[in-house]
Amino acid sequence: MASPAQMGCGLKFLPVLLVLALTPAFASTYIVTVAGLGGEPDYEQRFTMLANDVDKILRTGGQTDRIVETLKGPDATRVKVEAALNKVAGQAKAQDAFVLMMIGHGTFDGMEYKFNLPGPDISGAELAALLNKIPAGRQLVVDMTSASGGAVNALKKDNRTIITATKSGSEKNATVFARFWVEALRDPAADADKNEVISALEAFQYAEKKTAQFYSEQKHLATEHSQVDDQQHAAAFPLLRFGSAAAVANDPAKRDLVAKREDIENKIDALKYQKSLMAPDDYKRQLTQLLIELAKAQEAIDK
Amino acid sequence: MSWRRRNATCVACTVLLLACAFSLAAQTIERAEALWKAHDYDGANAAFKALVAAQPKNALARVRWGNLFYERFNAAEAGKLYEEALGIDPKNAPALLGEAQILADNYDPKANDLANKALESDPKLYQAHELMAKTALEDDNPKKADSEADAALAIQSDALEAIAVKASIDLLADKQSPWVAKIGNRGKGYETIAHFYMINRRYEDTIQYLHKAIAATPDLWSAHSELGINLMRLGREGEARQELQAAYDNHFRDSVTANALTLMDSYNKFVTTETPTTALRLNKKEADALRPYFQEEMQRAMATYEKKYKFKLNKPVQVEVYPDHEDFAVRTQGLPGLGALGVTFDNYIAMDSPSGRPPGEFHWASTLWHEMSHVYVIAMTNDRVPRWFTEGLAVHEETAASPDWGDRVSPEILAAIRDKKLLPIAEIDRGFVHPTYPAQVIVSYYEAGKICDFIVQKWGDQKILDMIHEFAKNRPTVDVIKEQLGMEPEAFDKEFLAMIDKETGKAVAGFADWTKQVREISQLAKEGKNDEVIAKGRAIEGNYPDYVEAGNVYNFVAEACLTKGDKACAMDEWGRYSKIGGRDPETMKKYAKLLQDAGKLKEAEAALERMNFIYPIDPELHERLGNMLMQTGDAKGAVREFQVLVALHPIDAAGSHYNLAKAFQAAGQKDQAREEAVNALEAAPNYKPAQKLLLEVSGDEK
Repeated sequence: MASPAQMGCGLKFLPVLLVLALTPAFASTYIVTVAGLGGEPDYEQRFTMLANDVDKILRTGGQTDRIVETLKGPDATRVKVEAALNKVAGQAKAQDAFVLMMIGHGTFDGMEYKFNLPGPDISGAELAALLNKIPAGRQLVVDMTSASGGAVNALKKDNRTIITATKSGSEKNATVFARFWVEALRDPAADADKNEVISALEAFQYAEKKTAQFYSEQKHLATEHSQVDDQQHAAAFPLLRFGSAAAVANDPAKRDLVAKREDIENKIDALKYQKSLMAPDDYKRQLTQLLIELAKAQEAIDK
Repeated sequence: MSWRRRNATCVACTVLLLACAFSLAAQTIERAEALWKAHDYDGANAAFKALVAAQPKNALARVRWGNLFYERFNAAEAGKLYEEALGIDPKNAPALLGEAQILADNYDPKANDLANKALESDPKLYQAHELMAKTALEDDNPKKADSEADAALAIQSDALEAIAVKASIDLLADKQSPWVAKIGNRGKGYETIAHFYMINRRYEDTIQYLHKAIAATPDLWSAHSELGINLMRLGREGEARQELQAAYDNHFRDSVTANALTLMDSYNKFVTTETPTTALRLNKKEADALRPYFQEEMQRAMATYEKKYKFKLNKPVQVEVYPDHEDFAVRTQGLPGLGALGVTFDNYIAMDSPSGRPPGEFHWASTLWHEMSHVYVIAMTNDRVPRWFTEGLAVHEETAASPDWGDRVSPEILAAIRDKKLLPIAEIDRGFVHPTYPAQVIVSYYEAGKICDFIVQKWGDQKILDMIHEFAKNRPTVDVIKEQLGMEPEAFDKEFLAMIDKETGKAVAGFADWTKQVREISQLAKEGKNDEVIAKGRAIEGNYPDYVEAGNVYNFVAEACLTKGDKACAMDEWGRYSKIGGRDPETMKKYAKLLQDAGKLKEAEAALERMNFIYPIDPELHERLGNMLMQTGDAKGAVREFQVLVALHPIDAAGSHYNLAKAFQAAGQKDQAREEAVNALEAAPNYKPAQKLLLEVSGDEK
């Protein structure tokens, strides 16, 4: 989860902490990853490799609350995509979360977005219809294809966060965003607030920055500009937990200590919000004091 | 550059004389020119357009229209109109001269061919002789320049450019010139002299003659612009802005003037750090990341050159580093030669930032040492040094600083050697100023560098110093070679080429076969035939060891070794790649990882340190190097690396502050460690290692 500081909005995001705190720790997360049609051997290989990487990352760590399905190569047909999503629709409950990750090529004709699959493609509206049947109360769609920005309108829905590799359907070149999204899932550096949880927003910000860096370093005009439609929900959407965070999340005995820690965190957030109004020395002194208290609270949790 | 940008008026005079022959057209041309003279350029353009539409076979109207475009800084459109005129009248002398002028602006030696053709059409076209006089003097051929100027004067006794060329010949040789007085109050003549001073890097003299040009002709706005550019080159920014603005406000708005003003406006985005001997101007967005490395290399280069050249600079060196190549390009516009990476104006250096180019493409430290060498040689000779020598010595100094620095022998250079295109030492300057084939400037840099290598190998460093002192007396190359090296230039060429053949003969002779074999290796790699890739690659890599660019043999072999799981083999291969000057950051990081995994930490450190001279704005590089330095106990080095990491605003802000805190702690700097721990936790309050560190360094407050 990204703290308000990372999002640069101070108290405005305090409710996000609350949302996360209220998120049932024992709910399941259903994750479907689809690597679409490459068209050329290079792309075919690249898309499959990325899907394999995602699959491997998600299945590592022994977390039992994740139900993962990955479709790639000849298996990524429209029929199988529909079957996978219908299966989730049949199993997921309201307290669960659902993630769809799409890797590959997409097209947008000005009206309709299509995700390119072996055989018939699937349109944004058709995907939306399938997703709407899934009862999971929190949904995340990460569409990393070319022209993926063209899918946003069709997919938009309350409690569904949408991340796309391009800002519109007119960015039609093959994208590199997927490469860095996958990198975010395995690079601890993506966990910007070091809470041992990589949120959808953190992964997005990581991939966004790396994508921009890629074009800048290569001195190429950037042909993709990723976007997230709802930063607040993306910040509250935990994608991956690792280290002790996973254990704490599963340990009801630690909840009081965690609540105390969150109280100090909230004080720190409030202080940061006041930063521009305070004398720098005073801010630093108060911040240091709170951080020391927080460090001690964490020590207690870890005992 | 000046006369090149402004010569349209001379061409215009010629055309006006010829205009009498076309009375019907003349009336309209005159109307168009009246508008032109009144600075109504759109009106003039419309008038010419209407005239050409009404008289499609009127070549003169097209030439004149082209001249309008030329004067208004649009050589491309001017060239098209001259071409159209030549389509109507293939022997049209003013059109041929116009085309010659455009080529001459780009230092294209074909300008002379067209000027000669123009003379065939009109033997009285003295401007064609003037153009050839100027290109000859640019080629450091005063004899030919003098003869062409005389030819122009024989046709037109007061031909201004011819007089200016004759004056320039004397002045460049540090002689009083009776020709200067003949310029009288015609400012353009002084502007031409300034041009020749400028291309000989004598910027103070350039400025002096531009002032004379303006004094003689106050509304010569081209001279105001040129003066502004040259003042800017020498750091006199207040005066520069005044002159550039005056030119701009008076309709002289070529790209050079406009871009220079824009660049000066952007200086508030830069920050300058001064020491008693240096000033370093960096863009604020990367200043903290680049400063430590640039400052260290500036000081190291100055200490080296001071000792080597036995000379102490009497004023600070200023280095300006531009992340946007277009900003840097403003500094080099109009100068002959490559000027692609760095440029020196007396004690001012402007260069690309490592962030201005793709990773691995640019060795900034090598460029900095190259330019710093110019600063010394220019100061020691008071700007009187042939281009080949100062460039050659600067190239020599790059590899003298470190053998893996500098440029490797490229395929174009091998081709030039094979085709016997290296120039005799007596003519080598021509290759820098008026190249006759696309790669000639690069080949000339290589050749000049190798000449200096050869001199050092055969006669020692002292001989280079002796030659610098001789050139300072404004002696020509041929005389200096004869006296200092005790041999005729032709004999020198023979010995030098023998050395080149010894060094490159194998690569030159086997280049075609090597290329074919690399293609085969590439195919074998695709097929996964690793043993064959390794065997074949190792067999041929010695045939052209300098090739370290994309598709190099070292990489094919190393990757094949890795696929087989033979890390020692890959390490060995990339070790050779690194030693010969390979500089792809990703490859070097892989090599460093292998070394690190093998416990060869010092070698791994060295491999990553090399990358600091190439692409120091890679956060991963500093993180890895910093951690490695912590492992080997170099806390001070780690502090530097992590400070740069923080300055690069990496994705993992908290992690980078924490690393820096740890390095400060290891270096015994407790207060800084605490501050950085707080910075880390400000970004990520739950970051446990930083929490632990904060408690450790918080003492009583804990």
